[in-house]
Amino acid sequence: MKGILLIFTLSLGYCFFGQPNQKYTPAGMLSLGGRTTVSIFNDHKNEMTGTGVGGQFRLRFSDAVNTDWFFDYITSDILNYAHRTDYHIGWSVLFYPINQLDYFRQEGGFKPKFRPYILAGHCFDYSKIEAKDGFSPLDGPMSAERWSSAVQAGLGTHLELSPRFDISLTGQYMIHLGNHIETDYDFTTGALSFHEHKGASLAGHLLLTLSLNYKIAKLWGFNRR
Amino acid sequence: MGIQQKITGLFLLVSTLIYSQEKPSYFQPSLLRASATIAPTRFYTQQTTVALINGFVEYVSENRISIRGEANIMAPNGKLLYPNSPEKFPRNYTSIYAGFGYHLGKRNWKFDIHAEPGVVIAEMEQHPFLIVPAPYQWSVSPSFMLKGGTSFYFSKYCHFFAEINYSNGWIRKTPFMSVSIAQYGISAGLGFHLLTKKK
Repeated sequence: MKGILLIFTLSLGYCFFGQPNQKYTPAGMLSLGGRTTVSIFNDHKNEMTGTGVGGQFRLRFSDAVNTDWFFDYITSDILNYAHRTDYHIGWSVLFYPINQLDYFRQEGGFKPKFRPYILAGHCFDYSKIEAKDGFSPLDGPMSAERWSSAVQAGLGTHLELSPRFDISLTGQYMIHLGNHIETDYDFTTGALSFHEHKGASLAGHLLLTLSLNYKIAKLWGFNRR
Repeated sequence: MGIQQKITGLFLLVSTLIYSQEKPSYFQPSLLRASATIAPTRFYTQQTTVALINGFVEYVSENRISIRGEANIMAPNGKLLYPNSPEKFPRNYTSIYAGFGYHLGKRNWKFDIHAEPGVVIAEMEQHPFLIVPAPYQWSVSPSFMLKGGTSFYFSKYCHFFAEINYSNGWIRKTPFMSVSIAQYGISAGLGFHLLTKKK
């Protein structure tokens, strides 16, 4: 028992005093950015590649942990008989496995560098599917819609072009949890129908996101740790 | 004054602008610049060329980095070459982009690269053959613009710029296949700038 206590005490000591003597910390850094997204391998039958636009802010909690808070607006075609619109609002946690680089130590001139990360998170999602030729001047387009929740995980990297500016490329798979909509299209008659299925189901897509981010404020962590 | 004297005078003036070595560097952080111009743009998948009115505002936040917003609006009667298929091209077209620029080069002559996500707001004809008069619908579509160009800052408040851009996106709210808005265009002209912070 004494041995365990000794090891525990030494471990704590290592945790407290084993940190490098960093003058600055990136914790508290707030970034603002815009993003563009390509949605591929969509689970919906006959859905084609989607394109999207959105925005995000990024709040860093420590050397190794950052967070993205994002909004995406994505549109895609379902062959030539319908089109789909997705709105995502959510967050992701970014973990930097290689973290020996400091954001602020720019003595001797800044050099662009890559900073890879692993991310995982959650989002809320609103989807609407509208028929292409179902438009009526009186009733508007024939459509179906749903709210759902989703989880996502993936890999990415920042390309830091200046101490404040970076371009980030992320690939992540997003799985939607909840109700889903199916479209049935009869290629002989041209009849289109929507079916809403209640209950949990797994449907997803791969999202490739390119974002442009600029650090605008440091909310905390000004002093020596 | 003869034509030869005018040409000589113009040459001397341009030489003065270019070779006056003691000029300060006008391009520096806190520079705010803006301009508006006509941008001939080719929607190559629709085989349509239009005149867009382009306006931008840009703020230089670091030596090489700037934040930029811009808008393009299709000029009234701006369709210059047009296939006359209303369902294939919007009646009204506006695009809005916001992004960042990266600037290379020394002192007052810069080469610029811009990447800007944005949206296209367009009005497309629906059911052009079935209902008279045909209904139109507005839609907002995601888009992305890449831009490259050069700028020459020749005075404290003015600069010349020339840019070429490529952007892409799809208008989905159509009765048939979605309409591609892939395009390339050029814009050039006189821009205005101002240093918003004094050293």
